[in-house]
Amino acid sequence: MNKTSLIAITILILGVFGFVFIMGSSGNPAVVKNVEVKDGIQYVNIDAGGGYSPKVSLAKAGIPTKLIVKTSGSFDCSSLLSIRSVGFEKVLPPTGETEVDVGVPVAGVPLRGVCSMGMYSFLVNFE
Amino acid sequence: MLKKHTFHVAGTHCASCKILIEDVLGEQSLVKSVEVNLRKETVLLETESEETPEEIAKILTEKIKPNGYTLSVEKTVSENIKYDVIWKAIPVGLFFLGLFFLLQKSGILNLGIGGTTTPLTGFVVGLIASVSSCLAVVGGLVLSLSAKVSQDNVSDKKNFILFHAGRLVSFAVLGGILGALGQAIGINFTFTSILGIIASIVMLVLGLNLTGVLSKNHITLPSGIFNFFRKIEHKTFTPLAIGFGTFFLPCGFTQSMQVAALSSGSFVSGFLIMSAFALGTLPMLALLSFGSASFAHGKHAPLFFKSAGIVVIGLGLFALLGGLVALGIINPLFNI
Repeated sequence: MNKTSLIAITILILGVFGFVFIMGSSGNPAVVKNVEVKDGIQYVNIDAGGGYSPKVSLAKAGIPTKLIVKTSGSFDCSSLLSIRSVGFEKVLPPTGETEVDVGVPVAGVPLRGVCSMGMYSFLVNFE
Repeated sequence: MLKKHTFHVAGTHCASCKILIEDVLGEQSLVKSVEVNLRKETVLLETESEETPEEIAKILTEKIKPNGYTLSVEKTVSENIKYDVIWKAIPVGLFFLGLFFLLQKSGILNLGIGGTTTPLTGFVVGLIASVSSCLAVVGGLVLSLSAKVSQDNVSDKKNFILFHAGRLVSFAVLGGILGALGQAIGINFTFTSILGIIASIVMLVLGLNLTGVLSKNHITLPSGIFNFFRKIEHKTFTPLAIGFGTFFLPCGFTQSMQVAALSSGSFVSGFLIMSAFALGTLPMLALLSFGSASFAHGKHAPLFFKSAGIVVIGLGLFALLGGLVALGIINPLFNI
């Protein structure tokens, strides 16, 4: 095969995989109601397992907030959660709920959780 | 009477090749002195032999052929071939990288496994882990080291067996210790992330070396480092130690299993869970290492090395970016 056709194949491969990835990543997820306030405490629910869901949440600033991270049969990276800004670092149980106290969030300062290998993450924005 | 000859040498790809060729040729009785010039890819010989340069090249090629080098009087026209191979290797490498990331994105690896962790779950988790994102770190490291070891013609099969044995034994024993202690060892995220970054840098360097980028532009590492590598490449404990080290590499599944082992409550149950997990990862890792060896000795070896290099560079970048994100140094660039 000559070089030109090989370059063409390379571009084709990049194009096909790039397309699949961009299509897979965009597509705005429907707004999930994952925030609730009970007895003056705000709870933000996050599912962990094959990544975090929802990837971006919106919660209120200025009230005591806790994250509830739910796992069900998760052994992958997302069960190794670290949230640096609150010094949280823990291996979540394969199945169960883990409560993370994140204090009283300040508006405009988001909370970011990442898994130990860094390829999954989630973000909670406060306003 | 001493005669000087200059030969062209083909097959040099690393700084340690110089040392190897000089060692082998220096041992030959007809060679008085030998000096390899890696940049020009030539060998300068002093010999008392009265034979023609062609004859000498032929005799000496016999000696270094097993290591993958050939001597010739005329420069062999391999430059063009080399150039074509990289253009074939790029699509091949990208194709495998694409498949790997598609597999991660497809979500078929995220089957929930419920219940308590038994050795059987450990084995199944190991099977999944071996094709998951962990493959980017552990598999990438295995592939790059295996390809490099095969390329340098170190006794590769023996090293691979030692590596896998070291991995199985250390997972089993460390799992047992975790179970007995009921305390975390090596489950410090920062520590594993730093180890992962080191592994990814090793992958990037080896990947660039395999594709030939490093040797082409002569950005070779100082030969002191290569001497060191060459020495440790031949040591029996090296593959054992690397097998042991994979216990601490960042991999979600490995770390989950470590926690399962430590909460299992006894040496025996921790031992069984971790050895079952390591056994589950064995088929894929064995395929990578022994597959490398068989490709490396086949006729598609140059294409294999360069494609493996591309794959390893891709996985290394993925692991490096992930490690930096995990340490909080950079913000996530991707979320597969």
